[in-house]
Amino acid sequence: MISQEARRDWFEQLLQQGTTAAAEIDEQAWLSRRRSQARAELGQLPLPTRKSENWRYTLLDGLLGQTFQPSNEAFQALLPEDIDDWLLEDTHAYRIVFANGRFVPGLKSFAELPEGVTIASLQQVLRQQPEMLSIWFGQTANHSQDVFTALNSALMNDGLFVHLARDTILDRPLEVLHLNLSVEQTALIQPCNLLVLEQGARAEIIERYTSTGDSVYFHNGVSEILLEEDASLTHLRVQEESPQSYHLHRSFVSQAAGSHYHSTSVALGAKWARQELQVRFQAENAECQTRGLYLVGKDQFSEQHLDVQHNTPANSSQHLYKGILYGACRAVFDGRILVGQAAQKSEAHLNNHNLLLSREADVVTKPQLEIYADDVQCSHGTTVGQLETEQLYYLRSRGIKLIEAMKMLCSGFAAEIFADMKNEVLRERVQNRLDTILVRALDETSGEKHV
Amino acid sequence: MLSIKALKANVEDKPILNGLDLEVKPGEVHAIMGPNGSGKSTLAHILAGRDGYEVTGGTVTFKGEDLLALEPEERAHQGVFLAMQYPVELPGINNMVFLREAMNANRIARGEAPIDAVNFMKQVRAKAHLLQLDEKLLKRNVNSGFSGGEKKRNEILQMLMLEPNLAILDETDSGLDIDALRIVAEGVNALRSPERSIILVTHYQRLLDYIKPDFVHVLSAGRIVRSGDKDLALELEEKGYGWLEEETAA
Ligand SMILES: Nc1ncnc2c1ncn2[C@@H]1O[C@H](COP(=O)(O)OP(=O)(O)OP(=O)(O)O)[C@@H](O)[C@H]1O
Ligand SMILES: [Mg+2]
Repeated sequence: MISQEARRDWFEQLLQQGTTAAAEIDEQAWLSRRRSQARAELGQLPLPTRKSENWRYTLLDGLLGQTFQPSNEAFQALLPEDIDDWLLEDTHAYRIVFANGRFVPGLKSFAELPEGVTIASLQQVLRQQPEMLSIWFGQTANHSQDVFTALNSALMNDGLFVHLARDTILDRPLEVLHLNLSVEQTALIQPCNLLVLEQGARAEIIERYTSTGDSVYFHNGVSEILLEEDASLTHLRVQEESPQSYHLHRSFVSQAAGSHYHSTSVALGAKWARQELQVRFQAENAECQTRGLYLVGKDQFSEQHLDVQHNTPANSSQHLYKGILYGACRAVFDGRILVGQAAQKSEAHLNNHNLLLSREADVVTKPQLEIYADDVQCSHGTTVGQLETEQLYYLRSRGIKLIEAMKMLCSGFAAEIFADMKNEVLRERVQNRLDTILVRALDETSGEKHV
Repeated sequence: MLSIKALKANVEDKPILNGLDLEVKPGEVHAIMGPNGSGKSTLAHILAGRDGYEVTGGTVTFKGEDLLALEPEERAHQGVFLAMQYPVELPGINNMVFLREAMNANRIARGEAPIDAVNFMKQVRAKAHLLQLDEKLLKRNVNSGFSGGEKKRNEILQMLMLEPNLAILDETDSGLDIDALRIVAEGVNALRSPERSIILVTHYQRLLDYIKPDFVHVLSAGRIVRSGDKDLALELEEKGYGWLEEETAA
């Protein structure tokens, strides 16, 4: 157990090292205000411990026992062919690449963008249109009251900035590659992303978080997503990182009336990964649908944290998360939907299902629904199960080998997560990737008796 | 082709098969009838390789090899196919994908090239058409939400695609309407050839009007207590199983 003091030091040290590094950005008044505010907060906010509700099931000692240095390196020399393996979309998409949280200008795939569309790095916007940032930034994440978010804000440096003006429709998907590299060992990488869709705007965004080899780093990312009236965002997030890395990412989604947020998240892991999604409805008739899949193997920790609040009437939210666990690992699903008194006519569904392929796998599943309104439609459910012997037998009796049969059942289990994905090419690619990982995982665990 | 000698098997320490003998030669069709719980499905599953049965005696050889030593998938590769009495649902697994995976798994195991997509589609369509199986069912998940009869037809579709040497049909006729019975029987007959053998487990003589068996056996309390030709089925239809059990006891 790491002492409270050591925890405080851990944050302090990162802050000190990072403050010098971050100074390179032209200091905008609001930016320096924001940073120093976050710095001040950081000293005051409670530190995460197993005693706090939010961190009850999270194993933190590994992360806090490791030292990191804020990443300073810019990877200007990366070539398009260096990133081929990590792209999910083809040339069709608008592409933008970040390496260790920094924008890589040479890998941007577009020169021109349609009227009303801004896709840029935070630094670019800071230089060219700083006023744009000050309107939007920190609207949602400001209220998070958590040290990790404060750490991100205090050292705010670069990230993705997307802005769609009123009624703008992004004609092609946007693919964002977040690549974390091992050149600089034990780096602290802190992208700070902001996505704003103004009234009636629509976009599809594909984000891939990935890394090379056995890189050791701590990714502490924050994304703010602001959807104004009737805006619609389809968001795919695939996270697949080095088995030595730590990944914490928070997404804050704010939804105005009639907006749609459809998110599919595939977490293929790091050594330690925690993804948080916070959704707040600001008005009525908005819809939020999240689908999540996590694959967790030997020596991995994976957590999905969901916090959805319905505090206004007539919004609908549906959340389905599925986990496949193989090997000695731990997965946590901690999801909470609050339906406040004012949120009549709300619809909220929260489900979590887990498939355990190993006796050494450990899963904590805690879907919670807190309802204070009476005229609502809500449900929640959770299951933890294993592969069905009868189904395996059926497949094998048709000539399909054991490992292949297991893979088919696992991808069958996962299929529901992708069922609503409209981009079929993408769906196929993600599912193929998943199959590859499953086969490797099942091969690894085949020494164990599965059923 | 298949030779079962003095087969004894337990399920959870309870003897189910008690010294069963059966000899099936290439091209033959054998019908197995017998009261509920007599061990027909148990026999079928032991042949297909399901877990949970303890073979306590006897031998099963298939094409000269010890069948019981093989994994279920290896038996399929050797040409054994069981159309199950209760086909399971496979959530999230598309029927067409499943069929192709199964077909290719067998082809690869036999050293053949995987079937190409166009050819595969042609075959599935033709065979589904033969069985009057709605093509929509091909696009759904395997057996998921299929009616009883649809599941049975889907089993036969798999059989037609996999073209086994030994097809075991466990009560494929149960749950089929009269037209479906005829259609499925035509499907099975289409597969008949001098190299292929079929074991039909059934409770009803009607199926045997369509698929003419060379032999009819009665399985009772885990043993074959009577064998004959198709007239035996007619006799059973008339008299039930009681008289046989009395005879055996005597
Ligand atoms: N897994 C099992 N556990 C316990 N008993 C079993 C199991 N499987 C089969 N049995 C028992 O073995 C006996 C034979 O069952 P089996 O399914 O082979 O009968 P059957 O001849 O196919 O009957 P039916 O005509 O009803 O299909 C029955 O008494 C059944 O209850
Ligand atoms: Mg039976």
